[in-house]
Amino acid sequence: MLSYVVRRLIIAIPMLLGAMSIVFFAMRILPGDPCLAMMGDEATKEALEDCVRHLGLDRPLLVQYADYMWKSLHFDFGRSIVFQYTVSSYILSMFPHTLLLVIASSLVALVVGLPTGIFSALHRQNPLVDYSSRLIALLGLSMPVFWFGILLLIVFSLHLDLFPLIGGGDLITVFDMIAEGEVFEYPEDFLAAIWDVLHHLALPALALGLTLAATVSRMARSAMLEVISADYIRTARSKGLHERLVIYKHALRNMMIPLLTIIGLFVAIALTGTVLTETVFTRPGLGKMLVDAIGARDYPLAQGAITVFTMTIILVNLLVDILYAVFDPRIAYK
Amino acid sequence: MHKGVFRVFLVLVMQGLILLGLFAAADAARKKVVKIAYKEQETLDPHASILGQTQSGVRLLYRGLTRFAIKQVTETAPDGTEIVRQEVTTTEVEPDLAESWTVSDDGTVWTFKLRQGVQFHKGYGEMTAEDVKYSFERQMRRERGMRFAKNLDVIQDITVVDPYTVRITLKQFDPVFPLRMAGYQQGYIVSKAAALEFGDRFGWNPVGTGPFYFHRHLPRERIIFRAFKKYYGGRPAIDEIHWYDVPEDATKLIGLEKGTFDIVSPNIVTPDVKQQVTDMEAVLDERGPGGQFRFYFNHTKPPFDDIRVRQAFMHAIDRQAIVDTLWPDGLGTVASSPLPPGYFGHLPMEMPAYDPDLARQLLAEAGYADGLTIENYFITMSYGYPKIMTMVQEQLKRVGVDVRLQLVEHPTYHRNIRNNLNPFVLYGGTRLTDGDVMLSLFFHSSEAPDPATGNKGTNFAHYTGIDDLLEAGRRTRDSEQRAALYHEAQRRIMADAVCLPVVDIPSRSARNPARVSTPFDPELGEYALHYFYNYPEMLAVVE
Repeated sequence: MLSYVVRRLIIAIPMLLGAMSIVFFAMRILPGDPCLAMMGDEATKEALEDCVRHLGLDRPLLVQYADYMWKSLHFDFGRSIVFQYTVSSYILSMFPHTLLLVIASSLVALVVGLPTGIFSALHRQNPLVDYSSRLIALLGLSMPVFWFGILLLIVFSLHLDLFPLIGGGDLITVFDMIAEGEVFEYPEDFLAAIWDVLHHLALPALALGLTLAATVSRMARSAMLEVISADYIRTARSKGLHERLVIYKHALRNMMIPLLTIIGLFVAIALTGTVLTETVFTRPGLGKMLVDAIGARDYPLAQGAITVFTMTIILVNLLVDILYAVFDPRIAYK
Repeated sequence: MHKGVFRVFLVLVMQGLILLGLFAAADAARKKVVKIAYKEQETLDPHASILGQTQSGVRLLYRGLTRFAIKQVTETAPDGTEIVRQEVTTTEVEPDLAESWTVSDDGTVWTFKLRQGVQFHKGYGEMTAEDVKYSFERQMRRERGMRFAKNLDVIQDITVVDPYTVRITLKQFDPVFPLRMAGYQQGYIVSKAAALEFGDRFGWNPVGTGPFYFHRHLPRERIIFRAFKKYYGGRPAIDEIHWYDVPEDATKLIGLEKGTFDIVSPNIVTPDVKQQVTDMEAVLDERGPGGQFRFYFNHTKPPFDDIRVRQAFMHAIDRQAIVDTLWPDGLGTVASSPLPPGYFGHLPMEMPAYDPDLARQLLAEAGYADGLTIENYFITMSYGYPKIMTMVQEQLKRVGVDVRLQLVEHPTYHRNIRNNLNPFVLYGGTRLTDGDVMLSLFFHSSEAPDPATGNKGTNFAHYTGIDDLLEAGRRTRDSEQRAALYHEAQRRIMADAVCLPVVDIPSRSARNPARVSTPFDPELGEYALHYFYNYPEMLAVVE
């Protein structure tokens, strides 16, 4: 098992380098450069010339590429062209917000999507259940997060005043207190900071989670349908097992395998979903930062963010592969 | 017994009074925080960014040798009473960090006497002539990140005469010089010691002499500025300014209504936004000159090498319809000159009238009786550009011109128009408020973009017709004569039909007047270049 994980991690290195190279060249294929993007309508020709020269964008592309890869190998991802912060420190301050949002919205999606999908598959003969669950799924699929998010903000934030309008909460205090070992010294402050983070997280997680729940529900429904028509379910039923046992013991666990396969993909969908969610709820985060960085042609920042995204997806897929063994004992990694 | 009860009563009353006092003190001690929703600044180095949100933000931190003058304007109300209003102008300056100045007879040597005792933030000491010299020279050396070297091109030499006197020698007389020294873009004075200490990191360790100092940056969330106690003009009434990074207009408006924000700066003020702001009893603070959208016709390339085609386009574009649709209810005004109002030398002129019949006739005379197709016309998907262009596309269709639009990202648009890929170009923008600066950048021959030489200028019409007037203007010291030269320049531009000004749009931000007040009239009272509040220290929290 361990050797399998190590092998997978080693394979991840060329994948990561490949992704970094693709991003490097893709960013440069985009017309317009960081200088034009930064100065917009107010740019003068002299300022543009100076900017291109100082950023080294007048060097041959291959020289720029070699420079980038060489520095990356030394864990130097450069500085953001626009914000001047080092890419690593900037991403490090953004990533926890996005990670929290992805985890929380995935939880919402699973908690809402899985039961509704399974329920609708099991009661598909009942048109009321089937159609209403399909209708809800369709609504969820066609409801864009930016619209649903604003709706939630208007109702829960503006009118009911239950949730904050913007921001990502006091995550810095949480980390500071953990780092400085103050958690047990000032437990109330720590809990207050955690509460603040969760308070800020609730609406965005709900907005993104519910729109994702529709996808999960559809996936769970089809996975369940596939499983309950399998031979071993018929066998289980013919043994005279109680229907509840058939579902819980035989169907659910087997249903998880096709579902797990798409969870890797699902994380990618959730990550892209954070872009709009972070925009609507004005949360700090990696998704929105990446889109802005591409728009601003902030090459180092965009490259850094995509590298982190790639790493996340590689790791999630690795985790999914390991989970297979948990759900299906026939799979063994040697 | 009675005594005991009385004593207890007395103690209770005293405790109550103490508590009341504490509450009152706590209320009085509450910080006066103004919350602003705008985009995040990418740097707080005033010389390193050209963007609106940054130039608006750095005005909190820095001051220049001069500042845009505040004028008292007396108006007579309908009932006969006189009202005195304060207004900020954009073409006149008054002393700020410089107490006074003298200029040599030939107009090339400027000697500034600095105000004594002006302190930099965070203990960086008193501002001296060395800081002034450094602030300009770092830009003139075109150090990394500097954006405004061109605006200081005219300076030959800067000499520190004594700690409070600085002498600036120009290459030749420059009528715009006092304006260049105003607290805006290149004119801000930074702390030499801090800039040298922090180098590339000065952008997030900014030190100036302005009414607020930088306290903290929470990336993509907010920036906190605090009142500077030693500000030479007196400590501002506001204790803190929290500048939130809010990209979405909808969120900004909900926040304004909810009280999360006190001032918001929408990306685009549409009639709908104006209505929402009015409904929530907020006010729109306007600032000019704002931006002017206009079309440039590249007269070096067919079909616009024929003046009749250029004129035909000008008559085919219904500017009034564009303004009525996109900027109604006074949100924008139909432009009256290629040099917008608020710029020195502005001359309101009669513009080509909307006349599709005349346009068709002119096109026929030019040999395009069967119409004309323009393929691959690039247009950015940002700001007001795509909205204007789709309307113009429809209007041109009516006279037989088919423009095939291709939507692209803003940086792509900027690259393509500088590669002369669009035969006519839609462009907006604001420049230093003088005819020389504005007309030179958009109509001087040296600014014609050319991919072969790498010239990335903004004279998209490739016009050469007013070079002589601009050069004469730079030699003229009499302001009336200088204005006359720019008037003639505007007439020539319109007579040669190389540019069609479409709409003038002031910058606007929405303010909750129940929370924050300003001494200036919302309607262009701050006729300022900063896209935002020129005098943020004059904002006050309403008790």
